[in-house]
Amino acid sequence: MTNDVLIMRGVTREYAVGGPFAKKKTLKALRGIDLTVSRGQTLGLVGESGCGKSTLAKILLGVEEPTAGIVLVDGRPLNSYDRLERAKLIQPVFQDPYSSLNPRMTVEAIISAPLAVRGVGTRVSRRKRVEELAAEVGLPRHLVDAYPSQLSGGQRQRVAIARALIGEPKILICDEPTSALDVSVQSQILNLLHRLKQELNLTMILISHNLAVVHHLADEVAVMYLGQIVERGPSEEIFERPHHPYTDALLKAVLIPRPGSRLPDLGLQAEFPSPLNPPSGCAFHPRCPYAQADCSRIAPATRGEQRSYRCHYPLNLVEASLTSAAS
Amino acid sequence: MRGEPILEVKGLQVEIPVEGAVLRPVRGVDLSVSRGETVAVVGESGCGKSLTALAIMGLLPRAARYTCERITLKGEALTNASPRRWRQLRGDRIAMIFQDPMTALDPCYRIGDQMREILQQHRRISSQAARERSLELLRKVGIPSPEERLSQFPHQLSGGLRQRVMIAMALLCEPELIIADEPTTALDVTIQAQILRLLREIQRDTGIGLILITHDLGVVAGMADRIVVMYGGEVVEVGACDDILSRPLHPYTEGLMRSIPVPGQTKRGDLLGFIPGIVPRQVGERTRCGFIDRCPYAVESCATGPVPLSAVGNGREVRCAIPAEKRDPQAWNRLAEAS
Repeated sequence: MTNDVLIMRGVTREYAVGGPFAKKKTLKALRGIDLTVSRGQTLGLVGESGCGKSTLAKILLGVEEPTAGIVLVDGRPLNSYDRLERAKLIQPVFQDPYSSLNPRMTVEAIISAPLAVRGVGTRVSRRKRVEELAAEVGLPRHLVDAYPSQLSGGQRQRVAIARALIGEPKILICDEPTSALDVSVQSQILNLLHRLKQELNLTMILISHNLAVVHHLADEVAVMYLGQIVERGPSEEIFERPHHPYTDALLKAVLIPRPGSRLPDLGLQAEFPSPLNPPSGCAFHPRCPYAQADCSRIAPATRGEQRSYRCHYPLNLVEASLTSAAS
Repeated sequence: MRGEPILEVKGLQVEIPVEGAVLRPVRGVDLSVSRGETVAVVGESGCGKSLTALAIMGLLPRAARYTCERITLKGEALTNASPRRWRQLRGDRIAMIFQDPMTALDPCYRIGDQMREILQQHRRISSQAARERSLELLRKVGIPSPEERLSQFPHQLSGGLRQRVMIAMALLCEPELIIADEPTTALDVTIQAQILRLLREIQRDTGIGLILITHDLGVVAGMADRIVVMYGGEVVEVGACDDILSRPLHPYTEGLMRSIPVPGQTKRGDLLGFIPGIVPRQVGERTRCGFIDRCPYAVESCATGPVPLSAVGNGREVRCAIPAEKRDPQAWNRLAEAS
């Protein structure tokens, strides 16, 4: 049990939207998230915009409070830590290294800030630590005294990673860590994250819409749809045998740079529904190519333990019944 | 083999004067598109692909100057076209689809008004007929309840719907050429697949020439007939889509292909390839190969002069002085280990 760094139970987050001229409505960004992440694991969180993955990250970073449910980090409720303690536990790496670094601070000041605010060490010892970390993340030593504007996108993201790592956090939250970077630079950051993960036994939550990136880094994958986790399991199994039709569509949508590859027909109906007005029953039923009559009435419960899914007619069972009918 | 050429660009150069220097982000680009053909212009940020597109549309920023041997649209020279002529051409015979439909659509006007304006700018057409035509196209691009959409504002539509509206607007006057600059980069993956399929179907039906500007080789594989790879303002490789994807000849293209994780091909945590260094600032004349500082194969002779784009048969051209058979196959691996 002690191996579970992060436990979420029934985490729900609702927002009241609508102003003085519009009717007040409740937007359910997260609708009962249960999630467990063990030490040293990388959890890939995937889903379309509006599915709640960024809200989840905000809750973990303490920027937002959940409306209901509990978040345990290292066995203690997240809101029982004070700000500095929480910052020591959980650190973010954001998507855009052009806007997430203070342009008026040197690289040294940016990287050492988490230590400086806690008053750890002296200036000299912090400088030494910054230089060690710069070497660790592959940042040339002379850039330690530079300003962010003098750095390339890849170098800036290395600074962001070094800053996140200097306090030796338990959990690293990477929100689209490579999507602002060019492909040839993206691969260097992916290589770096993978190496750090192994060397430091980091627990990582990787939020990305790029399934190739998730496939490359994540040990486990959780697929979110409209504030719920609709499928979860070990990365290989999810990629090889998706159970939920939504996961299947997401995987098909990955465009592979291979000669002769075709544009996939996802068979998805309609558009992503508004989180203000989620569909009845299974939230995915209006778009699902396999939906049956009862999908619009009864919300499917989560089935399975290690490999869980929320679907009345998961692909593995549909296929099994098809083959048995054929034979 | 290929249809009649719609667009021909030869020797396009763009210069932007900045403090004390002249940036040269586009250096002698040749490009041609035939009827019904999709040409993908591929490259990373700063390679000059978007400026090339803007130059073709006559939309370069005011600070930029461009020179070229010729740009012709169906034989008509565009190089010296007057602003008046440009206004006639844009939206009518050449249309553009931008990356972000939220900033490309006017937030203050209803969808229907924006579409009618384009039609009435180019055709003598009644408002009623313009409405009919707009509806027809909104239906064609798969927008549900199009009558309702005509009276809506852009902010009331989702990103996918907005991009469909952009495509419908580009098609209003049945252009001969569409330039799509990263048309799906701002969209979710599931929507991306739908929009790309739509673009390709429409293009097959109408024989429009399409220039697709993108950094995503996955998108290219599903869409393009031919690929033009750009680096540092130059075309470094040209060829049929499948040829380039199965055997890239320029070291830069090779490096790009090696950097992409592909589910099913690369395994978790595999060391991915990468291209060392960064794109240099594009100032001054080329006196040596533009890729030399990042190239794992570079030898001394690469620094002696600019490298020309040379034909290597089968419609392929490549800007590299080292023939494929003389390259060290271990060069990329050594590079990765050295890092």
